[in-house]
Amino acid sequence: MMPRNAAIVGGGHADWGHREATWKDLAQEAGKATFDDVDGLTPDDVEGLFVGAVQPERFAFQSHVAPLAAELLGIDVTKMISRTELACASGQAALRYAWLAIAAGQLDVALVLGVEKMNLGDDHVPETQASMTNVLDREFDGVNGLNAPSFFSMFAQRHMHEYGTTHEQLARVSVKNKNHAANNPYAQFQTEVDVDDVLESYPVAPPLCLLDCSGITDGAAGLLLVSEEKARELTDTAAYVTGSGQSCMAGNSINNLPSFSGWPQATQAAEEAYDQAGIDDPVDELDVAEIHDCFSISEIIEYEDLGWVEKGEGGQFAEDGRGELDGDIAVNPRGGLLGCGHPLGATGVSQALEIYKQFTGEVESARQVPDSPETGLIHNLSGSGSVHSVMTLARDPQ
Amino acid sequence: MTDADNTTARSDGGSDTPRTTVTIPDSIELPRLLDFYDLQDAEHTRISEFYDRLRDGSLSTTECRDCGDLQFPPRVMCPECTSDDLAYVSLPHHGTLFALSAVRGSGPLGMTDDTPFVTSVVDLDGVDVKLSARIDGADYDDLSIGDPVTLEVVDIDGPTDQHRVFYRFRPRGDTA
Repeated sequence: MMPRNAAIVGGGHADWGHREATWKDLAQEAGKATFDDVDGLTPDDVEGLFVGAVQPERFAFQSHVAPLAAELLGIDVTKMISRTELACASGQAALRYAWLAIAAGQLDVALVLGVEKMNLGDDHVPETQASMTNVLDREFDGVNGLNAPSFFSMFAQRHMHEYGTTHEQLARVSVKNKNHAANNPYAQFQTEVDVDDVLESYPVAPPLCLLDCSGITDGAAGLLLVSEEKARELTDTAAYVTGSGQSCMAGNSINNLPSFSGWPQATQAAEEAYDQAGIDDPVDELDVAEIHDCFSISEIIEYEDLGWVEKGEGGQFAEDGRGELDGDIAVNPRGGLLGCGHPLGATGVSQALEIYKQFTGEVESARQVPDSPETGLIHNLSGSGSVHSVMTLARDPQ
Repeated sequence: MTDADNTTARSDGGSDTPRTTVTIPDSIELPRLLDFYDLQDAEHTRISEFYDRLRDGSLSTTECRDCGDLQFPPRVMCPECTSDDLAYVSLPHHGTLFALSAVRGSGPLGMTDDTPFVTSVVDLDGVDVKLSARIDGADYDDLSIGDPVTLEVVDIDGPTDQHRVFYRFRPRGDTA
């Protein structure tokens, strides 16, 4: 049996940030926004439900969350239900499973939902930090108390040390993405900043400063992924999945990372996706990308390891503005994790939905990629960066 | 809506509604967990020898007797050849800082009083092992990539009767 094409035909968000709302509230807000966005599909049409959620057991004291979401959204799932946990890539993993199910002919309509409740109140930030650090090996990494900023700071330090990358170049990434988010109504951080703001913000995990970092975010996003046949019934403009690659080294602990300045798995996953999509020159052929800027340094490394520039030239790519809306590839027009925040399970879903909205031209004009973008990419790393997921999308499935 | 539903709706509210109180204890004793450190004896982990040796002041790990692969952290199965015939071997106590940062915001549960503290990757001398480790006895601003460091054994105080240990590093020559 030949694999079938699958396409995003719409979706929606809850508002992201410090929300006075529960995990269940957020799931319902994103579910409603999704069904409100897509004419012709209701919960009764959904055959498969795929929920990205990382730590509901600790952040919301709740497990078995996919069936809970089915109940909340009124979906009688007839084909496949799954909750995915792949740390910061969980939303993208949910989307990948939905794509595989449709490609394999198992179902025609899937809801992909990502939900994370992370803010538990100021008194409980240490609980959130503990849960986050334990995506690494708790016994040998988490025990050292390092949080995400201090872990990624070591990548920033090594990249500066090995390639001469500057903090100003990193700051350019934060400025670009936060300024995109200033025009995104669901983003957590909607304030414009400049390079000096970034460099002068508190060095929370040196060499990285506060504005080099994403946030702790409550949020949710949903999208409907359907077979090509169904997509053509519903709409003229869809975002077809053209490639999906994933790579994980035999390693998760910091103790077994081969590099602190690069991510070989990002290259492997990207090459897999490019190969499936028939992409030879990603810089020339990709119009828009949503990539995992959990920290400013992450996006710099991804420019390199997604194969857009030579190793060590990521900082220059940022400095030259090649990732701006009118650059070679418009990178993170949504605002990225730096601007939107990072509700772990929701991020990948939100990124893919942004690519669809860029294709349809439904985003705010200040962050619309010019000249009708037709090809896009999403990328997420997870954990220690030992895992990378890359998906390519296009308006035309061929 | 049924007649019964209507009856319920009409009787809702007011002082006649029965009520009771459920009392939740001020604190709930949980199983010992969430302090990051495993129970380290042979009843709880198959790498207890690593902790026994560390308690005696020696850093060690496992090496495969079949293929020679050196692992860190210690294992019960060789990830190179799937053998379970592993031997404990000593690791050097000296190394250099490969990368470092500091935790200046909130530390995780149980470590909030420790901040700010230095986190690092230590490249052990003479072997292909880079460890994730905290650095004691120095501030971030006083340290650089390449600085020499030496092992420090940390005794873990409470909340179990077990004598638990872990490792950190400190600048070499610093004996404070």
